[in-house]
Amino acid sequence: MSVEWIKSHWTLLVPLLMGALALAWMMPRQGKPRPIAAGLMGLAAVGCAGFFLLKPGPEMVESALFFLFAGTAIVAAGLMITSHNPVYAALWFALVTLSVCGLFLLQSAPFLSAATIIVYAGAIIVTFVFVIMLARQSGAAFYDQSSEQPTWATFASFLLLGGMLVCLGDWRGQSGSDGGMGGGMLKVPAVWQDRELNPNPLSTLPDTEAGVKAAGTMRGLGRSLFGDYLFAVEIAGTLLMVATIGSVAIAPRRAQGGL
Amino acid sequence: MTGVLHNYLIVGSVLFVMGMLGFLTRRNLILMMLSAEMMLHGVSLNLVAFSRAHGNYQGQAFTAFILTVAACEAGLSLALILALYRRRGTLDVTAWTDLGEAPAELPTIPEHDAPHIEQEFPRLKPTGHLPEVPEEETAARV
Repeated sequence: MSVEWIKSHWTLLVPLLMGALALAWMMPRQGKPRPIAAGLMGLAAVGCAGFFLLKPGPEMVESALFFLFAGTAIVAAGLMITSHNPVYAALWFALVTLSVCGLFLLQSAPFLSAATIIVYAGAIIVTFVFVIMLARQSGAAFYDQSSEQPTWATFASFLLLGGMLVCLGDWRGQSGSDGGMGGGMLKVPAVWQDRELNPNPLSTLPDTEAGVKAAGTMRGLGRSLFGDYLFAVEIAGTLLMVATIGSVAIAPRRAQGGL
Repeated sequence: MTGVLHNYLIVGSVLFVMGMLGFLTRRNLILMMLSAEMMLHGVSLNLVAFSRAHGNYQGQAFTAFILTVAACEAGLSLALILALYRRRGTLDVTAWTDLGEAPAELPTIPEHDAPHIEQEFPRLKPTGHLPEVPEEETAARV
């Protein structure tokens, strides 16, 4: 039975195994540079996964952009977590953020894309200052040259990833031959078009052509945020203020002129 | 009209797992924080894809809240990292394995963890002889 299962899932297992091997191999270890072969193997794993697992959508340009952004995001993520130098890791994280913002744009969320770039640009610049201030004071740090239990951590992580991908694959198998919701939207339940019964009436797009076209506009998102989620927005503002006060309280005070 | 939802879910889960792997393996506190942010990216991608597929704004609204919480988390964690760095002078997370116990002597770095960096500096070849400096210029050249 297990042999049968492996035979039917080899397109999933091969890229997973290659990716896990490449990442475990690339993890920083004592005094060794990152091997180039492991990087090539990781690239091959990403290519395999893209070829076997991802199905191009109905539109050429969108699919091309999706593959570009997704590939960049995953490769940059791999390089970030295996980087020996925290400054480079922060730069790779910036690339991951930009790619994810591109994917947001493709999913018609322009406001979120811009907001993510603004928030993370500030966060990354602050992180940069921190890295340069703290980590670079005494040259290359030994704790950046080594990692904690790289083999077992990679094993556990890819076990989780494999489980999620198998579940997703089974779900696609159940939900029809066009890849679940590929090519179109999920049908909005008819009961949700009834404004009395819908718990979030302002967040639902009307089931008309114009309503579908309006997806992702700032007007719609604003109506949703300040209509259905007004209370949550207020709470989020309070949370931001509490976090600001908390950070000021936690951050240590220095003597005048100290770093 | 829309990308295949499945693709976005796969990319989101890969980003999440990469962030988890980074969080588990890296020893630098700042990198651990960045890995946690990457896990949030994966989840946000998931939510936005579902929002598009279901034709409503709930996923996008939720992602806006995730952004808020991520900003709070980044500010608090950087303040914490700064406070921890002031105490022990290192960003190494293994320096804090004795939290909650009686204060003992500071953890010592095992011998095999010591930095192992070999550097070679270029050497200039001696060519020619020293130029002669006029007497009146030597005072100006320090």
